[in-house]
Amino acid sequence: MTQISIVQLYPAELGITGDRGNVRTLEERLRARGVASTTAHVGVGEPLPEDVDIVVIGNGPLSALRGVHADFVARAQQLRSFIADDRTLFAIGGSAELLGERIDLTDGDSVDGVGVMPYRVSRTRDRRVGYITVRTPDAAVVGFEDHASEWTLTDESAAYGTVVAGRGSYSRGDARGEFVRHRNAVVGNVQGPVLPLNPALADVLVSAAAARRGLDLPDATPSPFDEYAKGARDAIERFVHDKGFKTIQL
Amino acid sequence: MMQATPQARSAGLRYVFPVLAGKLARFATRLRGGGSAFPGYLTNRLAPTLLPTLADQFRYGVVFVLGSNGKTTTTHMISEVLRAHGLRVFTNPTGANLPQGVTSALLADATLTGRIRADVAVLEIDEGFAADLADRLSPSVILSLNVQVDQLYRFYETERVADMMLEASKRASAHVVVNRDDPYLSKIDVDAMRAPVTFFGVASDIVASSAHGLANAVDTRSGTAGIIDREAFAEVREVSGRDVVVRVGEADARITLPARGLHYAADAAAALAVASGVLGAEFDTQRAATGFASMAPAYGRGEVIPLRRDPAGEQVEFVMFKNAPSIQMNLDALEGTPERALIAIDEGTPDVSWLYDVDFAPLPRVDVVTGDKAHQLALALAYAGVEIGTVEPDMEKAVAIMRSFPETTTGKQTWFVNYELMMIGRRILGYGDQEVARR
Ligand SMILES: [Zn+2]
Repeated sequence: MTQISIVQLYPAELGITGDRGNVRTLEERLRARGVASTTAHVGVGEPLPEDVDIVVIGNGPLSALRGVHADFVARAQQLRSFIADDRTLFAIGGSAELLGERIDLTDGDSVDGVGVMPYRVSRTRDRRVGYITVRTPDAAVVGFEDHASEWTLTDESAAYGTVVAGRGSYSRGDARGEFVRHRNAVVGNVQGPVLPLNPALADVLVSAAAARRGLDLPDATPSPFDEYAKGARDAIERFVHDKGFKTIQL
Repeated sequence: MMQATPQARSAGLRYVFPVLAGKLARFATRLRGGGSAFPGYLTNRLAPTLLPTLADQFRYGVVFVLGSNGKTTTTHMISEVLRAHGLRVFTNPTGANLPQGVTSALLADATLTGRIRADVAVLEIDEGFAADLADRLSPSVILSLNVQVDQLYRFYETERVADMMLEASKRASAHVVVNRDDPYLSKIDVDAMRAPVTFFGVASDIVASSAHGLANAVDTRSGTAGIIDREAFAEVREVSGRDVVVRVGEADARITLPARGLHYAADAAAALAVASGVLGAEFDTQRAATGFASMAPAYGRGEVIPLRRDPAGEQVEFVMFKNAPSIQMNLDALEGTPERALIAIDEGTPDVSWLYDVDFAPLPRVDVVTGDKAHQLALALAYAGVEIGTVEPDMEKAVAIMRSFPETTTGKQTWFVNYELMMIGRRILGYGDQEVARR
């Protein structure tokens, strides 16, 4: 029987926004279709297991990004092949920033990116904090944003979502954009964590991994998670609609 | 404007107008039921020298309490220990830890001519304003409790929060007190401080035997994630429920904590270190123990309130949390599995991503999940494997459900709440305006 292999990369350093929740949802969405999965944690200096299907990376402060930087950059070629091979990568927050070409900091300093995703990042003084809702071609996504980063896409076709409410990470025509997708690598600044709140987005990732393996996914069996996630999405939509959303300036 | 010469730092007639204006504004704001920032602002504008003048009058100095978690509790502990030594203590009310709030509180206590009646001020201060306030209030002691992943929402970087505390600490004139068991704080540059540095902590075997240690933030900056070895002047040596032994210098203080939990034990060690610094040779471990014994649970921490307005009937124990470390410490400190539990979060806690980093094993079942974020909370609990009775976002209805259950054998329900829903919960139970005295 085929098992889908999931890796959470740098869970200790980049896992500050409940990022293991994203991993749990991927496991759960596979389970709901009768597909087994294994999850491994990979830290600095540890090799990725053979034949990984999905890599998940989370969020952390700048100091943590600096802590994993050398190790992360050393994996650039492997990650580039991983993405080119249509495997699935999901990164949120600081790790998503690092996957781009460069992060320019507010003090004029900059940090080289891993360079496997098509954008540059500028850290801003303006904090973007509050609920966010995003329309992607595959799913309407809700979550919470808390970042100070403005992205510039070097390949505009990689823009994956349009912000409906909230601030987002980049300009998209007259609107704001959130989430970047390059093949099956999907990255952004939406936390919450985002996948438990949005099983439909998790399904995009799970389906991509399954398709590459030639697996035919049956419909998901319903679970209490679905009901709570729907309740949470409805509450967030109502809140955004009724009260607007607040932004905190630093 | 008043005259600009800020020469004499003594109280006097020239402060009557600003103090009176501030007090009147405070009265007016109270009538409106609003916040307390404006009176302080007004007085600061009218007499910029007033604040330093007020602060200078505390014979035993001004103590600042900083930290991600436990500021209110520790401020209370220090105050009670100092009171037990016969000092008159001025302290700011819970949450009034921003500059204008501190000013307003000081004003409320000052005479019209700007005279202070207390011997010492113990102030919980927001880290973001600590250095600025230190410049105006010249604290003798600055205590930094911990740096935990919490202020992410406000400051984004934990290391920045640590730096705010350490930067403010440079301004203490007599003692800098920091947590030996906090990775960032343990690395304090002792030579950069004006005052000598005193460490407090919990004996390493006690930390090691607790489920999740002390939950302080990992140091992602220096290359050494954990703490560096420091001798603790005040160290928790024994813990047995609420009874703990803290070694303070050469003596053992045997005290009873206001509530169970290793974080309270650490706070107590911090409080004893500070009290010892403030009092010098006057410090006495027996009196310190008396101070702890007289302490009612601080607002919402281990506080017990009747469920059905019957003081002899079933009680609700409130367990307040605001982030992953505080809920984890409270869960780890539970005495057995709660018989009936309610858990509640509303929009007062904007980002709840951290719920997925909590180990909910001590809480296998909750009866009611409530608050604006009830469904987000239920989702995280479900992923954690917690069995859920009912999800009811409306707190009033949730309380009605909790009241409809048969009485527990222990005569107690446990409600885990964020600050806002603790206030609302108390009000629904009929205890909204009855504050637990802090002084
Ligand atoms: Zn008291």
